[in-house]
Amino acid sequence: MFKKILIANRGEIAVRVIKACQELGIASVAVYSEVDRASLHVQMADEAVCIGPPPAVESYLNMGRIIQTAHDRRAEAIHPGYGFLAENPDFARLCEKEKVVFIGPNSRALELVGDKIRARRTMEKAGIPIIPGMKSVPKELGTFDEEARKIGYPVMIKASAGGGGKGMRIVFSEEELRPSLEAGMREAKAAFGDESVYLEKYIEEPRHVEFQVLADNYGHIVHLYERECSIQRRHQKIVEETPSQALDPQLRQKMGDIAKKVLDVSGYNNAGTVEFLLDKNKNFYFLEVNARLQVEHPVTELATGVDLVHQQIRIASGEKLSLKQEEIKQCGHAIECRIYAEDPGNNFLPSSGRILYLKEPKGPGVRHDCGVYSGSEVPIYYDPILAKLIVWAETRESACQRMKSALDDYVILGISSTVGFLKDVISHPKFREGATTTGFIKNYFDQWKGKEPGEESLKLTLAAAAFDDFSRSQPLEPASGFREREELSPWQFLGKWRIGGKA
Amino acid sequence: MEYEYFANQALHKIALEKKGDRFIVHYRESSFEADIIIVSDNIYSVIIEGRSYLIYIAREKGKKHIFLDGQSCIIQKPGQEGRRLDRGEDRAAEGKSIVKAPMPGKVIKINVSEKEAVRKNQTLAIVEAMKMENEIKSPVEGQVKKIFVSAGDLVDSEKPLLELEPK
Repeated sequence: MFKKILIANRGEIAVRVIKACQELGIASVAVYSEVDRASLHVQMADEAVCIGPPPAVESYLNMGRIIQTAHDRRAEAIHPGYGFLAENPDFARLCEKEKVVFIGPNSRALELVGDKIRARRTMEKAGIPIIPGMKSVPKELGTFDEEARKIGYPVMIKASAGGGGKGMRIVFSEEELRPSLEAGMREAKAAFGDESVYLEKYIEEPRHVEFQVLADNYGHIVHLYERECSIQRRHQKIVEETPSQALDPQLRQKMGDIAKKVLDVSGYNNAGTVEFLLDKNKNFYFLEVNARLQVEHPVTELATGVDLVHQQIRIASGEKLSLKQEEIKQCGHAIECRIYAEDPGNNFLPSSGRILYLKEPKGPGVRHDCGVYSGSEVPIYYDPILAKLIVWAETRESACQRMKSALDDYVILGISSTVGFLKDVISHPKFREGATTTGFIKNYFDQWKGKEPGEESLKLTLAAAAFDDFSRSQPLEPASGFREREELSPWQFLGKWRIGGKA
Repeated sequence: MEYEYFANQALHKIALEKKGDRFIVHYRESSFEADIIIVSDNIYSVIIEGRSYLIYIAREKGKKHIFLDGQSCIIQKPGQEGRRLDRGEDRAAEGKSIVKAPMPGKVIKINVSEKEAVRKNQTLAIVEAMKMENEIKSPVEGQVKKIFVSAGDLVDSEKPLLELEPK
């Protein structure tokens, strides 16, 4: 097992990996950009090194600097988290060359599945169902017009190197094609350093169902069932759950077997996710492999009891997978809500600034993976994810109720967040029915606005504001609970205790 | 003690009267008695006629963010109300001639040039923040009068990007 791991990421996922390291008795090295000095991951890690200015290309994407830091701090492995360098084959290759273990797939598998076009060709050859569309990236923009006509509108523009909705656009007509291509290519270039895009048939009313897979370095592969991630805005997931309401045991087994086959034909090792689109008639198509730990991995952890980050680290250190397919069971229901620094009432525009106050929800079956705290600054440079709220319960119905109650209990003041919006999503009758498709947000929440406080709440809110001004203008006697806590001074507890003497 | 606050796009008056260890709150035509204690710097516990409320509060200059019953609300001192509260309708009206950055970010591209005629909803500029590109669309049909920024500029929220002359 490793003695020290460098975590090449920030925010909640860096915190998540550092916790796993602590549990496994491994020392952790955090890296951070100049704006992240006060970040939670820096505070939690055993060691922390500044790797450059705020823009990601000069810090979290600076491969040379990160490898050098690993050498300097004598870290034997690098966990890339998700985003940034997580799916960059050049980085994986650099790690291999520099003899630092990359906690993720080998560079060849990463290269194959990372190139969406090559992956599509490979999968098609192996008999895995794929969405009709282009099988190469054309050199000339003009080719796209012809291909789009061949596939038939609506078509989907996708980044060849991509994921996370970056560079993705739905195009309904020929006149939208050119501007959408340009925007998609620019976004792809900015996000992945590669502007290649391609077209696919756009499947209407689909569900997004993905399978979590683990593969060790010796060819042993297991899947840990599905996650349904159909609730998306801007092609980015915001609510995920397992099990999916759309699968029956037979379909589940079939898709699980195919997911394992996908990793097998890719020569893949470590944790990966195989994404599928499931259409109205329960036909499924291979979308892509997410060659990393996913944002939504906790729902799988809660429903299967397997710690995926522990598994990733064990596999990377050369251990054999001890899990057997027939021993992995799905138990109960888990849901995740992503808490983003965004204004859902204003087209999900990012919201940066200071979090004035944060209270994390707690309770049985509630997990909160969080990268921020009261007083932390949300910078404009990175992905706006702040935290993830995950619940587990025996049934889907009680998991929904538990999520609703946990969201009610979630206090985040000072910046806009998705909390209020998520509450309405979880409470929506169509969500409760399990009628979730990727068009859900667009269909039911297009012009969503947060509720203004009602008369009663407003009265209390104003009273609280007045009391706040009153109490701060003249020192008020603190309440008894407050005073008692202050009295818990060690000097009163320790009794006859003297410095340097015997009691 | 009387206080005035701006909330929900309206001005409100409220008065507090200390009575022993309780407070009488006067609001509009009614009054009620509240038992309020300070739990911590950000938390008040309030009991009104046997109903218990936990109220969270955070302060910023001229503003209080107050959370109660699963909802948060921004309260402002009179005279400080403005920019952030008047999103939506007011802004659409005002924004007809001056197009502003909707959030802090970086200008990626200016798609139009001065004197150019624009259609409603035509993309004028692209601003990127937190890895997402946001297209800034024209609120009106008209002509570009002046462009204040160029590609590569870092802009703050509400920073004027360009001025239009509506048709």
